[in-house]
Amino acid sequence: MAPSVSTTLWDTTGNAITAALAAERRQAGAIGAGQALTLVIVAAEDQVSAAERAATAAAEAHPSRLLIVVRRQPDTPNRLDAEVAIGGRLGPAEAVVMRMYGRLALHAESVVLPLLAPDAPVVTWWHGPPPDEIAADPLGILAGRRVTDCSLADDPIAALHQRAADYARGDTDLAWTRITPWRALLAGAFDAFDGVAGTVTSVRVTAEAGNPSAALLRGWLSARLGVDAECVDDGGPGITSAEIRVEPPSGAERVVAVHRPDGRSAVLSVSGELDHQLPLPRRQLGALLTEELRRLDPDLVYGEALAAATGMDHRDLEARPSERRHIWRDPMQATG
Amino acid sequence: MSRPVASRADNPLRDPRDRRLPRIPDPCALVVFGVTGDLATKKLLPAVYDLASRGLLPPGFALFGFARRDWDTRDFKRFARNAVIAHARTEFSEDVWSRLADCLCFTSGSFDDDDAFDEMAKTLDELETVHGTRGNAAFYLAVPPDAFPPVLRQLQRTKLCDTTPLGGWRRVVVEKPFGHDLKSARELNTLVDDVFTGHDVFRIDHYLGKETVQNLLALRFANTLFEPLWNAHYVDSVQITMAEDVGIESRAGFYDATGAARDVLQNHLLQLLALCAMEEPVSFDAESLRIEKRKVLNAISLPSDHERYAVRGQYLQGWLAGRRVPGYLAEPDVPSNSTTETYAAVRLGVETRRWAGVPFYLRAGKRLPRRVTEIAVVFKRAPHLPFAATDTVELGQNQLVIRVQPDEGVTLRFGSKVPGPSVEVREVSMDFLYGEAFTESSPEAYERLVLDVLLGDKTLFPDREEVEASWEVIDPLEEFWSGRPPHTYRAGEWGPIAANTMVERDGRVWRRP
Ligand SMILES: NC(=O)c1ccc[n+]([C@@H]2O[C@H](COP(=O)([O-])OP(=O)(O)OC[C@H]3O[C@@H](n4cnc5c(N)ncnc54)[C@H](OP(=O)(O)O)[C@@H]3O)[C@@H](O)[C@H]2O)c1
Repeated sequence: MAPSVSTTLWDTTGNAITAALAAERRQAGAIGAGQALTLVIVAAEDQVSAAERAATAAAEAHPSRLLIVVRRQPDTPNRLDAEVAIGGRLGPAEAVVMRMYGRLALHAESVVLPLLAPDAPVVTWWHGPPPDEIAADPLGILAGRRVTDCSLADDPIAALHQRAADYARGDTDLAWTRITPWRALLAGAFDAFDGVAGTVTSVRVTAEAGNPSAALLRGWLSARLGVDAECVDDGGPGITSAEIRVEPPSGAERVVAVHRPDGRSAVLSVSGELDHQLPLPRRQLGALLTEELRRLDPDLVYGEALAAATGMDHRDLEARPSERRHIWRDPMQATG
Repeated sequence: MSRPVASRADNPLRDPRDRRLPRIPDPCALVVFGVTGDLATKKLLPAVYDLASRGLLPPGFALFGFARRDWDTRDFKRFARNAVIAHARTEFSEDVWSRLADCLCFTSGSFDDDDAFDEMAKTLDELETVHGTRGNAAFYLAVPPDAFPPVLRQLQRTKLCDTTPLGGWRRVVVEKPFGHDLKSARELNTLVDDVFTGHDVFRIDHYLGKETVQNLLALRFANTLFEPLWNAHYVDSVQITMAEDVGIESRAGFYDATGAARDVLQNHLLQLLALCAMEEPVSFDAESLRIEKRKVLNAISLPSDHERYAVRGQYLQGWLAGRRVPGYLAEPDVPSNSTTETYAAVRLGVETRRWAGVPFYLRAGKRLPRRVTEIAVVFKRAPHLPFAATDTVELGQNQLVIRVQPDEGVTLRFGSKVPGPSVEVREVSMDFLYGEAFTESSPEAYERLVLDVLLGDKTLFPDREEVEASWEVIDPLEEFWSGRPPHTYRAGEWGPIAANTMVERDGRVWRRP
């Protein structure tokens, strides 16, 4: 077993962190080998431990370097505290947790850039309300893949519209990741369903109001099935059902439906077939992140679903350049 | 390794660009014969649970157990639950379990019991309506090899192997050993192919389900770095090792009739050799891959001097990991005059333009110092070294080692200057570690293979010709060995001295894994 090492640096500099990481890599030996990506996590202080737990779980499947950035009050004196850990508290990954105070928080990239694993892909994940404009956060510019989570916004549906307005290829949102099991179940039902040849006449999703995952599920079904799906509020928890009606060339209408009233297990029913009960639990953050890191190329199906969910044309979204240029916004001026 | 894209052309919800959606098998039943056995308890039931918890089982699914024990379905559920808790990879969840438990059922009976099979056929028909399995079924023979023929004949008699009445598919999964020589393998193959069709027979070599073995293909064919060197111009020799530290455990009856060569050389090691030596397949579909493997297996040549280049051994009492362990002949239920080998080493050649003249040294054994499986490609020395001879005494040959288990990963060994004012070159290694921590969350071999059976994907399953070609390699060795006492080695040593002499004669040494 390779040694686990950890160093805490108070009121430090970017150079000192770089040096500490290099020293720990030498000390830890082989464990530092084989980084597949760098994961930059932007989290608020009260969300750090949840983000750490998720990242640690994800690092078990994807060897990565974790750089966790906590931005503190911009109106305090500049200061940088850091913890560097390899193979310790934060799992097998190389991890650096940084707390940035004062104006430094607006220039987090100056500390992060030299710490990126050489030439490996960079993923930035905001564990908190998504930024309005990713281009305004330099930590989003340096990533090839940008992961937000609309469910953490004050108004998740407004946040989803803002994601569409701000979309560029390489963006994804955990609200989308959350519905993969739903999508797998529905696609699987269609595989086995002989009525596919017919015309889809209506699609209905029920969920608690303001659930961004339900909006994306509706968007995805609308885009794929070519109908305008509706979304109905029934109080949740989360998404409670999805129902697709198909008119076959001859014979009676068929309904493919998944109902999950309790947020845990679902019933799949297809007319003329037996009902099936299946576990369909809401997943932990770590599982979502693990799925997210499996592929790092742009998720165009998400773009399509996002466009349909927010009433935009997906061709407009796809036509945008995938590289962003930094836009300078000073929060002090905005608030002051 | 890539697999066919999970899209059915007419399903509007499938999109080849949508890589998040997994492929899910058709509704089906999995029938396990010998469901109380070691394999079913430790591997199959846990693998099925892991698939369930990853959401990869079809909505209409049933797992049907068959064994001699006088159980009802409730007993079986209790047994399966314990097996899952003890051996599953993913976390145990009551939600997942209770849904899976609804899919379990059990029939008790012996393999010569016609009534039991009739009963099973009837239950399977009922499953059709209770679980919506649509006439699809896979039969897993997790039973001792002598039970294969009776079970297959029962499947034939009851027409369970036949898809015509209901439509859908019927598949059969056969575990190793696939026979004990070419003749018996042919007989078994003819029987299964006759009962089912060749296309529906899945032979399990669980090594092919391992991530690192599949990664061997990615390493070779997704990179430009290695392939140019992957031939007789640059490669000096290849060593394939499968070492186990355990003895024969409680499997004396099986092992004494089998021996190391039939147990692992014939299947795992020759499959590793085939993947390591084959040409690039035109695509990664099942057929293209098997065509290339088959070519290599057919091109294998045996040493002309068996005495020197085919060594087998049997362990004596010794010390292993600080513990005194008995010799093979003192193991319970082993006859005291047994000549069965617990170690086999052989030098093979591959008679192709790429490999002519490169020896492939294969070795496998029990009670060796540690458990390790690896493929080491040893490169030739540089034709000229512009250093003083004394500067390079510590320089060995470059090696690329693919570690199959444990510590899955790749090591590259090469020469590097010792820091300091003088020019001295010594061996160092560069490691890529898909270490334990990183593979914990990747699927277990059986999980992958069971899923592939249900999906009907044969990429990772050896076919009939591969099995028969492998026996053609092993049979002459067995014939040579029969009647000659094996060499001996102490438990805890790296095999008999004769095996070291074998490579030393060629001016080489075994790598210490
Ligand atoms: N164990 C492994 O890890 C492993 C690895 C690779 C390949 N394999 C292969 O997998 C197969 C099964 O191995 P195993 O280790 O699981 O064997 P095992 O522990 O001996 O189990 C044999 C199973 O077959 C049943 N059985 C045997 N004869 C029967 C008969 N006449 N009628 C009805 N049921 C009968 C047994 O039922 P009872 O409980 O009623 O006796 C038991 O469930 C073998 O072909 C073996 O070579 C095993």
